[in-house]
Amino acid sequence: MLEEPFVPIAPLPPSQLRHSRLVDGVLWLLRRRRRFRVVGVSMWPLLEPGAEVLINPFAYGQQRPRSGDLIVAYHPGRSGLRLIKWVVYVESEGCFLQGLNDGASTDSREFGLVPWDRIVGKVICRFP
Amino acid sequence: MLNQAIAKLQAWFPADEVHAHCDGPCGVYDSASARVAAEAVLSMTKKLIDLEPPAAGDKAASIAYQNTFSRYIAIKEEQAQLTKDELLILWTDYFKPVHLEQFPDLHDTFWKAAKLCSACKVEVSVQHATELIAAVQKIHGIFWATKNRDVAWYTAS
Repeated sequence: MLEEPFVPIAPLPPSQLRHSRLVDGVLWLLRRRRRFRVVGVSMWPLLEPGAEVLINPFAYGQQRPRSGDLIVAYHPGRSGLRLIKWVVYVESEGCFLQGLNDGASTDSREFGLVPWDRIVGKVICRFP
Repeated sequence: MLNQAIAKLQAWFPADEVHAHCDGPCGVYDSASARVAAEAVLSMTKKLIDLEPPAAGDKAASIAYQNTFSRYIAIKEEQAQLTKDELLILWTDYFKPVHLEQFPDLHDTFWKAAKLCSACKVEVSVQHATELIAAVQKIHGIFWATKNRDVAWYTAS
């Protein structure tokens, strides 16, 4: 029997992000979500500068990010600088992050894999 | 109604920033940022050494002296850290493997320069602050050489 040819699947960047629902607001008030405001254009057109998002800081306690996730992480070389990017692929020591707007994004193409301990959480939705 | 309430909530409680980050219009780097900070470190180090302690028993002069001394130290610390940050940005973000082929001692140069930043924080050493300036000058030369541009070294002070 002929085997199916292996077709590599290129990871797809996230193209949509839903708006928040009442439950998201409640989870935020209960401090199960964190709110952030986007600065910069590297996630345009999905997220414009000034857009707000809610993230789940506990999303990666038990499991690792997956390709296609939108995440917030600290820049590996610049203390205190929080980034919002998407996960292109995951390796054992960290994940490769990229902006959606390749021409205006500084990301893993420059600074390499982002280690697990630099990841802040998973972007869940816009706010509101 | 709900939207207005949310808008007010957003205004009253500003969210923390998260950067859809780009280092300037991508690719804008300059070793001058590290130079200015390193010059400040040397300047503060010299000022600390030159600062004369007040006569014993003069409380007002003692307070003024300690205030000035503390401020000089705080600035020296801050600028040494800033120098290190600026150097690390160049090292990790600007320089690529192809530059390492051109300048095999690139890693060693940055590592030693970063170590000098630490030494300048820990000590009050004109020697190390001067060596830090020399290290930044060397990086200035390498940086502009990778861009095939002849940019003369200069200092602000």
